[in-house]
Formats: sequence, C-alpha cells, structure tokens
Amino acid sequence: MSGVGLKFFRGFPAFLIIYVFLVSCTGKSVGDGMIILTESPELLRSPDYSEGTVWRYLPGARITAVNPDKPEKIIVLTEEFSSACFPEISYDGKCMLFTARKNENDSWQIWEMNLRNLKSRKITSFDENCTDPVYLPGNRMAFSRQTINDTVGNAHCIFTCRLDGSGVQQVTFSPASSFANTVLKDGRIITVNTVLNPQEADPVLQIMRPDGTKADLYYKAPAGCRLISSVSETNDRHLIFAERNAGNPGKDELISISYNRPLHTRINLTSSIDGDFLFALPVATDRFLVSYRKPGSESYGICEFDPSEKKLGRQIYSDPRYNVVDAVIAVRHDRPKNLPSEVDMHVKTGLIMCQNINVFNAELPRSFHETHKARRIEVVGVDTTYGVVDVEEDGSFYLKVIADTPFRIKTIDDNGNLISGPCSWLWLRPNERRGCVGCHEDPELVPRNLLSIAVTKDPVIIPVHIGEIKEKIVELE
Amino acid sequence: MKKIYWKLVLIIGVIGLLIILIYPPFHRWARAHVNYQTAVEDHPLNCLSCHLYTQKTGLISKLINADYYSPFNLALSNDGKRLYVVAEESNTLLVVDTEKRKVTNKIKVGYRPHTVILDKDEKYGYVSNQWEDNIYVIDLGNNIVIDTLDTGNGPAGIALSSDGKFIYAVNSYTNDISVIDLSSGREWKRLAAGNNPTGIGMSPDGRRLLVTSRRANLVPYGDPVVCELTVIDEDTKMVIDRQDMNSAYMLENIAFTPDGELALIPLIRPKNLVPSIQVEKGFMMTNGMAVIEQKPDGRVIQLLLDEPNEYFADPFDVAITPDGKRAFVSHAGVNRISVIDMDSIRSFISHTPTEMLEYYSNHLGISSKYLVKRIVTGANPKGLVLSSDGRYLYVAEHLEDRIAVISTESLETVNTIDLGGPKRITVARQGRRILNNASGTFQTQYACYTCHPDAHEDGLVYNMASKDMGRNLANTQSLRDIGDTPPFKWNGKNQTIYKQDGMRFSTVLTRNEAFNYKDLDALVAYIVTGIPYPPNLLYNPTGELNAMQLRGKALFERTIDNHGNEIPEKQRCITCHPPPYFTNKNFEDVGSLLASDDSMLFDTPHLNNIYASPPYLHHGRALTLEEIWTVYAEEDTHGAVNDFTKIELNELIEYLKSIREPEYYINESKKNKVLQAKIKNH
Repeated sequence: MSGVGLKFFRGFPAFLIIYVFLVSCTGKSVGDGMIILTESPELLRSPDYSEGTVWRYLPGARITAVNPDKPEKIIVLTEEFSSACFPEISYDGKCMLFTARKNENDSWQIWEMNLRNLKSRKITSFDENCTDPVYLPGNRMAFSRQTINDTVGNAHCIFTCRLDGSGVQQVTFSPASSFANTVLKDGRIITVNTVLNPQEADPVLQIMRPDGTKADLYYKAPAGCRLISSVSETNDRHLIFAERNAGNPGKDELISISYNRPLHTRINLTSSIDGDFLFALPVATDRFLVSYRKPGSESYGICEFDPSEKKLGRQIYSDPRYNVVDAVIAVRHDRPKNLPSEVDMHVKTGLIMCQNINVFNAELPRSFHETHKARRIEVVGVDTTYGVVDVEEDGSFYLKVIADTPFRIKTIDDNGNLISGPCSWLWLRPNERRGCVGCHEDPELVPRNLLSIAVTKDPVIIPVHIGEIKEKIVELE
Repeated sequence: MKKIYWKLVLIIGVIGLLIILIYPPFHRWARAHVNYQTAVEDHPLNCLSCHLYTQKTGLISKLINADYYSPFNLALSNDGKRLYVVAEESNTLLVVDTEKRKVTNKIKVGYRPHTVILDKDEKYGYVSNQWEDNIYVIDLGNNIVIDTLDTGNGPAGIALSSDGKFIYAVNSYTNDISVIDLSSGREWKRLAAGNNPTGIGMSPDGRRLLVTSRRANLVPYGDPVVCELTVIDEDTKMVIDRQDMNSAYMLENIAFTPDGELALIPLIRPKNLVPSIQVEKGFMMTNGMAVIEQKPDGRVIQLLLDEPNEYFADPFDVAITPDGKRAFVSHAGVNRISVIDMDSIRSFISHTPTEMLEYYSNHLGISSKYLVKRIVTGANPKGLVLSSDGRYLYVAEHLEDRIAVISTESLETVNTIDLGGPKRITVARQGRRILNNASGTFQTQYACYTCHPDAHEDGLVYNMASKDMGRNLANTQSLRDIGDTPPFKWNGKNQTIYKQDGMRFSTVLTRNEAFNYKDLDALVAYIVTGIPYPPNLLYNPTGELNAMQLRGKALFERTIDNHGNEIPEKQRCITCHPPPYFTNKNFEDVGSLLASDDSMLFDTPHLNNIYASPPYLHHGRALTLEEIWTVYAEEDTHGAVNDFTKIELNELIEYLKSIREPEYYINESKKNKVLQAKIKNH
C-alpha cells in the first residue's frame, strides 16, 4: 500500500485497511472502506424545471466500487441495471440503497444491495419515478418520488417507507420538488427544495423532521448561485455542498456552512482553484473526497481535498468516459438520532400559532414598521383562498388547518392592502403543532416569552368555511 | 455411591422439571410486570435495574452506591498555589495544591456547603452551609474550623464587606441577606432580596454589591417573568435598588469587569408562556447572560450565548480575566465553557440603541459577535475561578469529581486535578449526569435540571399544549423523593418514572431520541434513590412543633368542625394527605379545574417541604398556601375549611409549613409503635 494511500486512510483502523486489501482482491464483494461512486456519462445538470430537467436521474449511470489504493481495479456493482446512481450506505456498512432502472424504459425505483454478495432487491415499485434514497433509523428510508396531482402539480415529494417497501407515507405536501436528500446527525432530513408554484424559484436547502413536521428553510444560496448537489455533514458540524456560480460561468464550487448558523456562515472552499467541483464527501476533518474536473477536461474524477488549506490532493480515480457525480464510503457509521413523531394519522388537522405578524425585523427600515401594520391574514392555497382571519390585538393568530395541505399566508392591513407575503409554502402534518415568531421575521429570532391572546381562545379553522371538524382528540401526553 | 448418584440425578431432575414448569408462567408474569412498569413492550427483563439499583437504604444500597465529592464552588489563593474546593456532597472543603495537583487537606464543614471565600490576608476562609443555616470560619493556616456564624435559611453566596468587618450571606430559602458583624459573630441586620437569591458580588471599587435571584417573582400565569437583581450600598448596607431582569431566571453568579463598568450574570430566558409545541427556534429555553452597565442609569442588557441550531444549557458561573478582555461562562448542561471577547461586547452594546438590544436579547445569531470558543469540560461544570495573573481558569467539574485547569492563552484544558473520589461511576451517579445534561434534548436546549434546578422545581407554570395550545397549564413539580409517591404528573397518568421519562417525555418534552433503556434505568435509579429534601430548618428544625403549629396539626387531623358536626371522611385533610408523604396516592377533584383545563382528577400531591414549592395547585395560580382555600376552594371543595376563622387558617398553614421530609415521619411512626408495644407489655 502506497504512502499516499496510508495517508489517505489515516484515522481508519489498520485492520480495516488490511480487510479492504483482502476483499478487494477477490472482486466479489465490497469491503469496508471502499469508495462507492456514481459514474455518469452525462453531466449532472442543475435543476431547470421550466425545461423539464429532472437533475437526479442519470441515464447510463453506473455504481462502482474503488479501492483508493488500487483505483485501476474497479468493481461495477450495477451491471444488471441500465442506469444506477446515488448510493447510500447503511449504518452497519453492509448494505447500500440506490436509485436504478433495469431497462431504459423502466421507471426509476429504489433498490438495496447487500455489499457482501452484491445481490440487489427492489424496494419501491411505483409507476412514478423515485430517487435519492436515504436510510432512516428504525429500518425505514426516505426518498423523493414523482407526484402528480392538482395540489402539487408535477413535483417530487419526500416519502418514507420501511426497508421492505411497506408503510409508504408522503411527508412533504407543497408544490415543490425535493431532491438530493441527506439525513443529518440530529435526525432531520435536509433536501434541495425548489418551489414550482406560482413560478419556479431558486433551489434552497429545506430541513424537516423525518415525519415531515417542522419543515423550514435552512440555507439559501446568494443571488447568482444555485445548489447543484446533496449535502454532506462533517464531524466538526459543517455542511458541504456544491453550487453553480452564474457570475462565473462554468464554475461549480464547493461551499461550506456551519450547522449551527447556516444562513450566515457561507464559505467558498474552492474559489482559488481552477476547475469545477460537483460533490464533496468528508472522510476526516481535514480531508474530503471531491468530484473535480480540471479546466478543459471532459470528465470529473475523484480527488482528495484539504478543506483547511483549500488545496487539492492526489487524484484517486478518473475514467474519461464517465463523470464521478457522487461518492460514499462503504463503512459502518453512526446512526443519526431517531426523532420521535407527533404525527397521528387518525387526526385530520394540525395547529399553528404565530406570536406577532407585525414583529419587528431589523432588516427592514423602521419607517416600514410604523406605516405598515397588518391586522388580518389571508390563508391561500395553490389555486384558492382558504379565508381571511382577523389577528388579535397583539398580532397573534392561532389556526387549525386541514393536515397535509399546502398553504401560504399573506398579511393585510385594515384596508385590505397587502403588507407582506405570501410566505413560503407551509403544510401541517396530522396532529402537528407548530409556532412562528412572526411573518417574514429574522429566522434567527426566538419567540418572546409572552402569552399570546390567540392561544387563549379556540383556533380558527382553515378553510374558514368549515365550521367544525369532528375528529379524534389526541393528548400527546 | 450409586445411591448418592441416583439421588443427585433425581434432585436435579426435579429441579429441572420445576424450572420447566415454573419458568414459562414466571416469564409471562415478568414480561407483563415490566411492560406495566415501563409502559413499553421491549424493555429488557433485567430484575436488577429496578430491584437492585433503586434500593434507597440498607446494605445493598451502601454496596452499590458511592459517596462522591461533587465540587461546586471554588476559591484560589492570591499566589495561585492553594485552591479551595467546596465538595458539596461530602460536606468538606478540599484544599488542593495546584502545583502538585493533589488534595492536601480535607476540612469537614457543615451540611451541603455552597460557597467558599477567602479574606484579603488569606488568614480566614468562610464556607456557607446551605442546609445548616450557618457559615463556618476556617483558620487557613491550620486548616481547621474555628467559628460558626448563624445566618438565615439556606445561605448560598457570601461576600465580605470592603473593610472586612462584615460578611454578607445570601439566604436562598428565606429570600433575604444576612449582614453579619464579624467582630461579634452576630447578625447585624437583614435585607430583603429577590426570590431564591443566590449569588453576590462586590463591585471592584467596593461600593456596591449585586445579589442575584434564581426564581422569578411570583406572579399569576400570563404576567411577565421577572427576576430581581438586588443592589446594596456597601457604605450604608442598605438596598438601594431592585432591578428587573425581564424574561429571565436562574441568575446564578456575578462577575465584574476590573474597571467596574460592567457586571455579567449568566441566566436562562424561559418560554413558559409560549405553548410547548416545538423545540426548534428556541421555543422552550434560551441561555445567555446579563450585561449590566454600572454607570448611573446604566442599562440591563441580555445577550444570548446560544446559536441557531445549538443551545448551551444551564449557564452557571462567570469569571473575567484581570485585564478585562475575556469572560468565561460555564454551561453545566452541555459540559462547555464559553469564551467571550469583552471588547466585542463593549463595542456592540455601545453602538447599539437600547431598543435594538431588547430585540437582540431574543436573537440566536448575535452570539457570533462576541463568542471566541467553546471549551469542552468534564461532566457538569459549575464554579469557576481565575488565577490572579489571569493565566489559568479552574473549573469545578461537579459530576466528574475533578478540577479542570484551562490555559486562558491557548484556551485548552492543560491539566486536570483528580479530587480522589470514587473511580467507579455508579448507576445512580450516571443517572444524575443524565438528569443534569441537555444532550437528551433536541439541540441541547435544556436538561431535566433546567426546569428542576437542584432536582426541585423552577417555580414556573408551563403551557404543555398537550391537546390544544393555551390549555392545561402545568405547575412544575419537585423531584425530591418523588420516587416514593407514584403515580406521576398532575393527572397521575404515569404509573412509574420509567413511563414518565420514557417515550412520552421524548415526544412531548425533549423532542429528541428517547433515552436508551440503560440511560433510562440510570435516570430512574437516581430519581428514586438520590434526591433528598433539605432539612426544614425554617419551620420545623427539631421536630418539636410550636403551639401554633400544634393547633394547626389538630385542625389538619380534625374530624369535627367548629359547629360540632362530623366532617365527612373525604373532607378531612388527613384523609387525602396522611403522613409520611402526606398523600394517599389517590385521585381527587378539589374544584381547581379551570375552564382551560380538560376534565380530570388530580393525583394527590405530597406535602413534604411544601413551604418551598410555591406556586401551588396544578395551574400554579395559588401563589401562597392561603390562596389554595381563600381563592380557589371557596365552596369546601378542597377539604372542609369554610368554618375556619382567619386565625385557624393561619394555624393550619403554619402546620403545613412545618411538614418535613418523609423519613422523619417514618421514624416517628416506628418509635410510636415501639413505645405502644412497651406500654402494652408493661
């Protein structure tokens, strides 16, 4: 094993390295520590829904396993598939979820492969396409599934199911497409989310609990930059992903944000390096594997990268016929937190309260707050209004909303003039209880400790034309 | 020989047969028993976790448990060579040689020591004994206790007057401050303080003292949470100001910048008035510090030490370097020390209008302006002290029995000092660590300890939003000796602590992965075995009731009312509140339901040390014991009391306040039985 290889594996137990060496010689299984790649003859395009581009399906792509010290000996893991991509390793390191289709005309579905014997089994069998599977604690997984209906249009929503394909649940309900899912160590799912209605918006990172509750904006790229990859989490609480910089055409860059403060800690890790980056996989605090293409080169290979020095290391693997668009390491890793769920499918509604729709926002001029006082909200759906509700004197409101229905909220003054909004799409899962500090408030603001007038009364039912909802009463305790 | 062989075979066969016959039904019974106790179906069938580690008394308890030191507060000699460590649980003051990193002396002090301070000449040390109502004076030359100074109830923080002639003792249970004349050893005067006052700090110019409060002022639910910061003029030794610390509580300790311009106080900003519907976005607790300008009309500013996706629970102590450049705050709930750049604080507050500072007191991102680093420590860091040259910070790792030594230059832990406590971590000790640590909560926003400081309660009422928001308020209940009084919760729906702290707890409160069963077993072991009551020194120090309390006891136990009518058994106090726990552990309706409550019966609460748990009733609307009857039970719904005169009600209240820890009544009962047996025999 070369010195470079040893350096690469610094931090891995020695027995693992030996094991990798031994199993890689047989070629019949994927050993611990091997790098598993998605190689695609086509480049991963940035999402462009107006063109109908679904950027997470890669025709002709394959999944391969590479021993970093013998990169010339690759194992093609998905020879039986016409296309396969986006592997995800189980917590015990023994299995792999991936997106694939057997034949060109098949729909994309989720499969799981046993990395010891390389046998695959199909998990999902929908007519619609599925992609971006991720393991969830409790023998479940989450994935994106094409969803076509009047509410969401033609979008990709997040679903969860057991690893045997049963117990399918839709967990996102807005007219938006969510792709490139990752489960963070705190147990939440982070996705690249693109709102499609009323018009397509720039993709953002959206975070939610695995049951779809508490969905919220996590990160928004600056103007001119566009998210083009899934997120990887480092051990020192940073998230790494790729963005395409429209101001620097052809330049795809690696971005780091702090888990603790994602909206204000953006660092471009590769601004001083010529060439493009599609993806990063942290293997240690000071070492990433990155998908990199030199200027003028046709394809992306896999390289080492030192994030603290912002320097590229050795190239580990490349194949001029393919672009490496994704990588994972076949190794046992920590399971994320298994978050409890408040969702009760026997309940038809969710509750949402807002402390003060006129909450002060330091980013707006003071004069705006003095002249723009909202007194009402309008709750709007995809193509309808759910009603106008007066807010309380303190600016608070408290709504009981039909669950799993997307809605947005506008704030209105006494004369019916729009003050702000509509906000981004919201939905409440059955029995979800949710709170907001205000409307368009600073996302880093926490609520004031006060008793809102609205929650001392019964909630207003949304849509307002429904007078009463008879349903099972759930006491969370 | 052959006979013996066949006998053995027969015996083994019979035993085997019995096992085969007995095991399946026993296993079924055990499974059902454990399922009932834990309210889950997959808790391991491990008899020891319940029946061994939850033993409170006896030989087994002694064998499986251990006596720890639990370092709490610290003082350091000027030359930095001797560190004085208050070992809270061993009732000792440890003298540590910082160069050799060894404990050189163990001085026995009073019950539950809290704070140690040294006089200017370092001839004498003073240790407040919170559960003994006094201060021990220690000859530091000989390391012996030479005098005892009586204080009010529950002395916590102490400070010497600037001339060294008086000592201030903050009486945490009677909410006042004793000013003790050191020449006579007697209390000279007493000053009223806030609710549960604790820390005291003298300004660098020696002219004023600040006294913190941990509990908020008692107000009806819905009114703002306000804690008092008491300001004392050192010359006159009078209270000159009572500053409101709005929306904050658990103000523990104080540090002044060397120039005296600012005082820092760690604090928690609770969200008890906001429905408990989520943890995300600081909806339950935020943690920070007060920055108090000491100039005339100086502002009281609050700044968070949390970040948008990570919280730093239970800030406790604060220390500022001699050059005034850096401050350190211990976060007992997350095993971290926050390092704060004081120049950034000065710059930020001087350039920010007051109304914007109010806005930023609820801003999670603002900490990025002044936070330098978070230093990892051992379990439950509490007291801090800096060396006089400012080079080293000593940290009392409370549940690690260790002192961490941190370099203030490298901001790394450069050494640790083992205090010599038990090396093994008992199950109950592990449970205590879990109760004190916020890692069980989503993004470490709060620990069990946060709402149950000192394993008691925080005096706040929360809107748990179990059905709808704004309904079913819950007054936090004390954890002291709570294991003996099942069921749990106000509605008694949790039959065991396993259930109380299991999945329900995870879904409703921590909103994080539930405790694994090993941790849950440990947590239960601690709660059941390790949370004693402080002695009721205020109302019943010896067990001898005074005349008023005796009259109140008679009223508590009466069967005939003032009109000569027999009181129905259900209406007698003693029926639902019999000793030793003063609860019959049954459900009752005492007419206290509010319109915002769902219909339910209440688990009769225990009354031990009830004086220390205001507010009262499940909704916490009764701010005093009197109000239970004068405001919330006008129709005799809570016992027959309407025939009471005002004086009789006062007598009943005095008796209730005298109720002590359950062990006292258990022992009294045993003594009475022995006495009765003797009389019978005689």
